[in-house]
Amino acid sequence: MIQFKALLIKELREAFRDKRALLVALSFGLMAPVMIMVMSKFAISQAVESPEIYVKFSGAEYAPKLIKAFKDENILAFVDVPADEKRVWQERNVEVIIPDTYAQDMVDGKPIDIILRADYNEKSLGAPLRRIKDEIRSFSLAIGYKRLLVRGIDIKLLQPITLQQQDTALPTSNAMMISLILGLYLMMGVFVSGQAISIDSSAGERERNVLEMLLCQPVSTLKIVMAKLVSSSLIAAIAVTLMLSLTTVSVSFVDLTKIGATFSLDGFTFTALLMLLIPLCFLASSLQLFVAFQAKSFKEAQSTVGMLIMIPAMVPVAMMLIDDKPSWVSWTPITGQSLLMEDLFKGLPVDWLAVLVTSGITIALTAGLVLTIAKRLTSEKVVMSLS
Amino acid sequence: MIEVKNLHKSFIDKKNTVKALDGLSFTAKDGEITGILGPNGAGKTTCLRTLYGLLKADEGSVIVDGIDVLDDPLAVRKRLGIFPDKFGLYERLTAYEQVDYFASLHGMQGANKKAAIEQIFKDLGMEELAHRKTVGFSQGQRMKVTLAQALVHQPKNFVLDEPTRGLDVMSTRVLRNHLAKFKEKGHCILFSSHVMQEVAALCDRVIIVANGKLAAQGTPQELCDLAGEKLLEDAFVKLIGSDEGVAA
Repeated sequence: MIQFKALLIKELREAFRDKRALLVALSFGLMAPVMIMVMSKFAISQAVESPEIYVKFSGAEYAPKLIKAFKDENILAFVDVPADEKRVWQERNVEVIIPDTYAQDMVDGKPIDIILRADYNEKSLGAPLRRIKDEIRSFSLAIGYKRLLVRGIDIKLLQPITLQQQDTALPTSNAMMISLILGLYLMMGVFVSGQAISIDSSAGERERNVLEMLLCQPVSTLKIVMAKLVSSSLIAAIAVTLMLSLTTVSVSFVDLTKIGATFSLDGFTFTALLMLLIPLCFLASSLQLFVAFQAKSFKEAQSTVGMLIMIPAMVPVAMMLIDDKPSWVSWTPITGQSLLMEDLFKGLPVDWLAVLVTSGITIALTAGLVLTIAKRLTSEKVVMSLS
Repeated sequence: MIEVKNLHKSFIDKKNTVKALDGLSFTAKDGEITGILGPNGAGKTTCLRTLYGLLKADEGSVIVDGIDVLDDPLAVRKRLGIFPDKFGLYERLTAYEQVDYFASLHGMQGANKKAAIEQIFKDLGMEELAHRKTVGFSQGQRMKVTLAQALVHQPKNFVLDEPTRGLDVMSTRVLRNHLAKFKEKGHCILFSSHVMQEVAALCDRVIIVANGKLAAQGTPQELCDLAGEKLLEDAFVKLIGSDEGVAA
């Protein structure tokens, strides 16, 4: 115990005095809440407001009422585009072509073809095109209804069935976007925050020739690895806690009610999230130590350990894309936590069995890695690569 | 006491096999300073690494105070004070913290530990360095910190790999006096060096290693007599059977 205490104190002293590594660890925690706030505000404004759309009309003079209806919905003519947005709308090139027979056909009651020409694959045009289509449809319907009314026909006849949609999602589910970003950030935070410390205490120590001296001391390699693991996991856990606390504060500045959503990290969610993430911090650190001890140099360790960030970045995204998930994914590390976090954010009841199983498997995997590293440190291969 | 018996060790590469130790045997007794000499690549570091339990011998054994290093490497390391060939410092720790760390690894604690650390800093004349971070220390200062951490737990056996390189005259003298004092107290000291005068002045017995084997052993005087030379340096060159050692 004296030995472990000494090892741990030394690791923590080194970690906390390594200002740059510490800054990297904590900056991620500080950055995330700000990013989440800015991104949510932006997304809400996109969802709620209907910004101006500039369309190249041809034949506008044949259908002044239609143009007026467009104008009421903020769909304007390209000639009126302000200078700073001109280039954007020039590139988007949305055209509405009204035939010159419009007025006559309208009087004759003939069908009229209005052409909407644009790049339908362009993502940024999704909302504008939808709004233009909706507007034309409702304009057309309004005229059709009037024609029927004039002929003495109840327009309700046209709607034998009306669909009533009832959304069973809880109000918090609408905050999906925030929870998605936060989930991703938390996972990344777990992996990024302790990374510099892990590399420094493994590959760094070997490069500075202090590892050999340590391996010559009467202390088991298991204790050495454990001390290093606890130290870098602790830094990661601090960063994640910081991230969560600050996010709680920053989200309160965003008016989510505008999009009919609520999002709050209450005491329960906060604790449950930490319970999920802290075992992951240990797994992440043990993976980093494992990879870094394998590397031949500090530089190699930096690049190979850096690759590990792909795991937390890809897994939650993959989880979202797969609709029919196999049942084991709710137990395996990272995927399990990812799904449980999603439930927590949605306000669904927590599946405690899944929490226990996932955390258990995560801890078991960490223990396996620790034992492997400890064993490898006693091997001649490692000693030979010291010099 | 350190007993090395018939050590064999080969390193097998994809292409070739290097025989680093080829039946090396010697004994470093308690109450004596034993010098270990050998040209570069003679197998000294491999021998010492086997002694620390970092490498496993293909054949033969190393026994420290009656304990075989293969049976219980941790118990052996507990009895050793090691000054390695290559060493580094924890640059974000102060000299005191660093020595304290190694003292704790050897199981020292409380007032005992504090007194031992203060004593070793006083003995090596490095009280002024104690609370400075080791980054930026000169070579001599770094050596002193490493020495302090090797000696702080007052081990029964010392293994010092060229401990005087980079030390100034005063510090070298301090170290020599220190070693002499430990010798009188009955400690076993295994000491490697390339400075022949130092070996001649300090060591009770000298072991010469060449090509992974024991080339000769005896007191410095015996070795000179054996080679028929007046100076240990000449005797050394003659006994290892080449001039290569001069360049070392």
